[in-house]
Amino acid sequence: MHACFARLLHIDLTSGKSEFRPIEESRLRSYLGGIGLGVSLLWEHAPAGIDPLSPANPLIFASAPLAGSGLTTTAKYAVVTKSPLTGFIADSLSSSHFALELKRLGIDALVITGRAAGPVYIVVRDQNVEVRRADHLRAKSATETESLIRTELESPAIRIAAIGLAGEKLVRFATISNEGRHAGRGGIGAVMGSKHLKAIAIAGGRDADVADPARVDAIAGSLRQRSLGSLTDKYRSIGTVANLSVFNHLGVLPTRNFQQATFEDAAALSGETLTNNNFSRRHGCACCTIRCERLFTSRGIEGEQRLEYETLFALGPLCGINDPDTVLQAAALCDRYGLDTISTGGTIAWAMETAGRGLLAGGQDIGLRFGDGDGVLNAIHAIGARDGAGDLLAEGSRRASAQVGANSSDWAMHVKGLELPGYDPRSLKTMALGLAVSPRGACHNRSGAYEADFSGEVDRFHGDAGRGPLVAASEDYAAVLDSLIVCKFLRKCFSDFYSEAAEILCAVTGWDYTPDELRRTGERIHTLKKLFNIRERWQPQDDWLPERLLTDRLGTKGDVGLSPEELREMIRGYYRAREWDEAGYVPAGKLRELGITA
Amino acid sequence: MATRSAIILAGGKSSRMGTPKALLPFDGQPLIVHVAGMLQRMFDDVVIVAAPEQELPSLPVTLVRDEVAYQGPVGGICYGLSAARGEIAFVTSCDSAFLNGRLIAHLLEQIDACDVVVPRWQDRFQPLHAVYRRSVLPLLEQQLARGELRPIFLFDKVRTCTIAEEEIRRFDPDGSSFFNMNTPEDYAEALRRWRRLNDEKARPTERISCTVELFGVARLVTKTHGISLELPRDSTYAQLFAALAERLPALVGRVITADRPRLVEGYACNVNGREFVRSPETKVNDGDDIAILSADAGG
Repeated sequence: MHACFARLLHIDLTSGKSEFRPIEESRLRSYLGGIGLGVSLLWEHAPAGIDPLSPANPLIFASAPLAGSGLTTTAKYAVVTKSPLTGFIADSLSSSHFALELKRLGIDALVITGRAAGPVYIVVRDQNVEVRRADHLRAKSATETESLIRTELESPAIRIAAIGLAGEKLVRFATISNEGRHAGRGGIGAVMGSKHLKAIAIAGGRDADVADPARVDAIAGSLRQRSLGSLTDKYRSIGTVANLSVFNHLGVLPTRNFQQATFEDAAALSGETLTNNNFSRRHGCACCTIRCERLFTSRGIEGEQRLEYETLFALGPLCGINDPDTVLQAAALCDRYGLDTISTGGTIAWAMETAGRGLLAGGQDIGLRFGDGDGVLNAIHAIGARDGAGDLLAEGSRRASAQVGANSSDWAMHVKGLELPGYDPRSLKTMALGLAVSPRGACHNRSGAYEADFSGEVDRFHGDAGRGPLVAASEDYAAVLDSLIVCKFLRKCFSDFYSEAAEILCAVTGWDYTPDELRRTGERIHTLKKLFNIRERWQPQDDWLPERLLTDRLGTKGDVGLSPEELREMIRGYYRAREWDEAGYVPAGKLRELGITA
Repeated sequence: MATRSAIILAGGKSSRMGTPKALLPFDGQPLIVHVAGMLQRMFDDVVIVAAPEQELPSLPVTLVRDEVAYQGPVGGICYGLSAARGEIAFVTSCDSAFLNGRLIAHLLEQIDACDVVVPRWQDRFQPLHAVYRRSVLPLLEQQLARGELRPIFLFDKVRTCTIAEEEIRRFDPDGSSFFNMNTPEDYAEALRRWRRLNDEKARPTERISCTVELFGVARLVTKTHGISLELPRDSTYAQLFAALAERLPALVGRVITADRPRLVEGYACNVNGREFVRSPETKVNDGDDIAILSADAGG
């Protein structure tokens, strides 16, 4: 067997015991790696109905067949668990050297269960597993933790993933971070914190081989060349912050908690302005030729700050903030505490609107108002430390609005508890459907449904049942990318994705994978995510959008809105395309067809 | 900016025309009034050089008479430059009925590094549609004294910038700027051309205007947020991309393909913040607000 090791490492923090266990090759073939393998292991290891913050909820770090192959953008790993924010699946990706080192441990996955008596960190060096005390790392940021552990272990080559204070405090949208990158969404950092696990330090000595090195080399060269062409120009020249001015122009830039879709001060925050005024340098993940990361400097932050579109939108226009220095400071604070920037911005924006309506009680009202930069910075401190009103906001907008009541859930902008990303669904109707049905909640990464809206192939202002097949195909495609794992910023460089990806998979693993089988694998992985959610008490009403999007219309770019009937029609089309029943449940025949044994 | 003058040479013999050219009816007025009027819109100082005793309508310009009649263009330019208030002067003749403001402005822009800017159209210099620095006056006077009545003798002696035909065509595709009337046939042709032009102008639908806003890479490489474009009615996006490439050459190769007027793969075009243009053969509409942006909305 090539490219995979057919085994996992299970560590139980309650007992401190660890063991290597085999993974059947058939499972690897059926679920590949990354998110696919993670979901498969979660299905097996998580007891049904488990409390996400309880010891038995498994925290799964999954490697992938292409990691370590040298192919561009493949230094990635997945973290899969049950989300404390949504109660459904949390599947996040992160990247760079930690991903390569995870592979070098000679395992396909690291499964962590249990809860240590006090703060600990795990050290895995080749076959040796050690659980160490981490009292001295309390409240340290992930970056500080990495540096301290590296010094402590006297091992500059060791790679570390860690949580910040927000993870320790069980903030429901805390991240896990390595090398300044974050497995960001769904609160997986809180799951790690609930296990009293501050960090995982790894150093391996095994390199996975590939089945056909010459073929892999040829493909690597071709992909590298394509990754440097015009199709990635945006990412290489400006980074994802380029989206802000474009989205503003198209009227899809969520502003002031989705009350508007254009921001009057967008020019001050645009990627072009930031590039001209604040740009410091370009950076990239290990093994990546695109290097989309942009580091910026600003008053009020030490050194450089990484910024991408979602962070910029969420901490900027969504909160009515027009000052780039404030946004960069807020981003730096989120990184320091280990907070998902989208959920942080989304929850603060909800609080700003709720406070403005006079609905927050004395202790909860910390004076947050749209456009108040200091208010945003103070709120992030409070959330990260669960301090005062931050304790309410650390629960995310769904729980906070349920606690506050008074219809404030109407403007809590989440799906399944996960705050919305920076694409206004009212004038991106395919995206609206993608957000509503995503097993992860309001997510722009587990499907690229917005692509249809931005292509001109569909009328982005009007939804119909025909969007169903588009969203389903986009989800399956994302599931394959996220399981091989290949960065989505490379996706447009494939002319026939499934054929090329199958060829890559064959060259790396030695399997005889066909394009059709790969497509079916994408569907299998996505279906298992849904199945997991159903087991965790998913209800049809969970596939829905926040009330505001269905009642408030936008005045920009004409009169634009999304009606419940329109959304219902699209959802019906989606379930049909998935061959699920009318209520959105997966029939047994479909499971059999996909080879899912539930 | 220093004063710039326009000089109209009107003192020719008009022998082949048979009647004084300056007074030929054109656009409802004497030809000289038409030409002077056009130049007055561009220049604060307009000088007309006429022959002694030549009959001319009254005009709010500086009028100078040849001290010695019929010394050809060099004589006229000498007298004109002497009377001009500007250090720089555009020189033309009274029968240049189709002057093109954009071309003249382009010629003026080139004078900084030279003494004469002269277009070359169909392999011939056009000294009576050229820009001269007043500092060449002594050399022209010497020419006059030697009897060198053709201006092109000057061009070897001073810093002369020649404007090639290809460059001229960017502003004046058919070279109407250089159309002169020497015979009654030329005059009849000029009237026909003028009528045709007026007919086109009278139909405002013949041209459309639109704005093009640039985002991301397109904005950074051009250092431009956007521009306005005028296009013939029924223009397609292919034509718009060609016009855009001409105005903003930094886009060529990076955003607009070098070999044909298309967007480079990875770029997209949106109209009025709504529809995305899917084919370069799509028609551009008057007043469209067009955005050039990355086709990839991933973030």
